[in-house]
Amino acid sequence: MFTLLAAGGFSETAAEIGRNFGWKPAYFVAQVINFLLVLYVLKRFAFGPIQEILEKRRANIKEGEEKLAQIEQKLIESEKTNAALIEKANADAKRLINEAKDSSAKLAEQKAAEAVTNAQNIMAKAEEAAKAERATMAADLKKEFGRLVVATTSQVTGKALNEDDQKRINEEALSSVQSN
Amino acid sequence: MAAEGGHKLPLYPEQIFSWLPLTNSMVMSWLAAGIIIFLCRSAAGKFEMVPKSFQNVAEWIIESLYNFFGGLLGDHLIKKTFWFFGGTFLFVLINNWLGLIPGVGTVGWNTEFVGGGKSFLPFLRGGNADLNMTSAMSVVFMAVWTFWAIQENGVKGFAEHIFAPKGSFSGILKIGMIVIFFLVGILEVISIMIRPVALSFRLFGNIYGGEQTLESLMHLVPKQIAFLPALPFYFVELLVGLIQALVFCLLAAIFLNLICDHGDDHGEEGSH
Repeated sequence: MFTLLAAGGFSETAAEIGRNFGWKPAYFVAQVINFLLVLYVLKRFAFGPIQEILEKRRANIKEGEEKLAQIEQKLIESEKTNAALIEKANADAKRLINEAKDSSAKLAEQKAAEAVTNAQNIMAKAEEAAKAERATMAADLKKEFGRLVVATTSQVTGKALNEDDQKRINEEALSSVQSN
Repeated sequence: MAAEGGHKLPLYPEQIFSWLPLTNSMVMSWLAAGIIIFLCRSAAGKFEMVPKSFQNVAEWIIESLYNFFGGLLGDHLIKKTFWFFGGTFLFVLINNWLGLIPGVGTVGWNTEFVGGGKSFLPFLRGGNADLNMTSAMSVVFMAVWTFWAIQENGVKGFAEHIFAPKGSFSGILKIGMIVIFFLVGILEVISIMIRPVALSFRLFGNIYGGEQTLESLMHLVPKQIAFLPALPFYFVELLVGLIQALVFCLLAAIFLNLICDHGDDHGEEGSH
C-alpha cells in the first residue's frame, strides 16, 4: 500500500509513515498470508458447513410449512365434504322420516278402511246369516205351525185336508201371526 | 515482568528475533487465528440437523452475521461474499479482544541498544495495533472488492459506474455532463485508492489508542493498584473492539454495495 503511495509521488511521506508505524513489506506479506489463511479456514470449516446446515434446515422448514398448508387445505376440504355429507344425510333422514310418516298415515288409513270394510262385511255376513237363520226358523216355524194347524183342524173338523186347504189355512194363520 | 521502560506504547510492532521477521503482533494474530481455527474444528465434525450446545452458539453467531450483512448487501451478494465479511469480522473482533488480555503489551523485556538508550519490548502486542495487520486486511478487501465489482458489472460496466454520466442528457448538456462526470470519476478513483488507507488507519488508530489509554492510566498510580484506573476502561475497550470490528466490516460492505448497486445512488459514495 505504501509502496503504491510511493509510486504515486508520495515517496518521502509514505516512507516516513512506513518508518513511524513499522510498516515493512515482509511483515505486511506475512499478515496478508495469515489473514487469507484465517478466511480460508473459516470458509472451509465454519461458514461452509454451517451455511449448508442452515440451508437444509430452511428447506426442511419450508417443505414442512408447505405440507402443513396442504394438510390445512385438505382439512378444510374434508370439513366441507363432511359438512355436505352430514347435510345430505340430514336431508335424507328428514325425507325418510317424512316418507315413513306419510307411509304410516296411508297404511293406517288403509288398515282402518280395511277394518271398516271387514267389519261391514262381517256385519253383512252376520246379517245375512241372521236372515238366513231367521228364514230357516220361519220356514221351520211355518212348517211346524202348518203341521200343527193341519193337525188341529183335522182333529177339530175330523176331516182330512187336501193340499190346497192346508196351504190356505197355513197362509191365513201365518199372516195372522205376522200381523201380531 | 512489569513494564518499566516508560508508559508510551510504541507505534510499531517489535521483531522478536533479530534473525526472523516475526513480530509480537504477528504472534497475537496467529493466536487469534489459532483460536478461530480451533473453535471451527471443534464444531466442524459435529454439525447436525438438530443443533446442540456449541453448534447452537456457532449457528447463532454465523446466522446473525449472515442476516446482518445480508441486510446491507442483499441476497445475491451475501451468498458469494459472506465468507469474507463474516471471517473478517470474527478475526478483527477476536484480535481486538485478545489485545485487552492483561499482560498483552505490558509483559516483555528491556533492551539496551548498542548506541545507548533503553527500550521496553513487549512479548505480545494487539494484532490490530499493528498497521501491517490492518493494511493487510484492507488491501485484501480492495482486491476482492475489485474482483467482485468486475464480476458483477463487467470491465465496461465497472468503468461506466465510475466515469459515465448518470441520467439522460442530450445536446451540449450531454457533452458538459460527460466532462463533469469524467472529472468526478477521477475523484472517485482517488477516493477508492484512499479507502484501504482510511480503513487500515481507522482500525489501527482506535485499537492502538485504546491500548495506549490503558497503558497511560496504569502509570498514573502506584504499581500495586495500577489496574484500578484502567479497569473501567477495559469495559469501554471491549465495546470499542466490537464497534471497530463492525465499523471495518460495515464500511467494507457499503463500499461493495455501492459499486455493485445498479441503482442511481452513486452520489452517496463520495461521502465516504
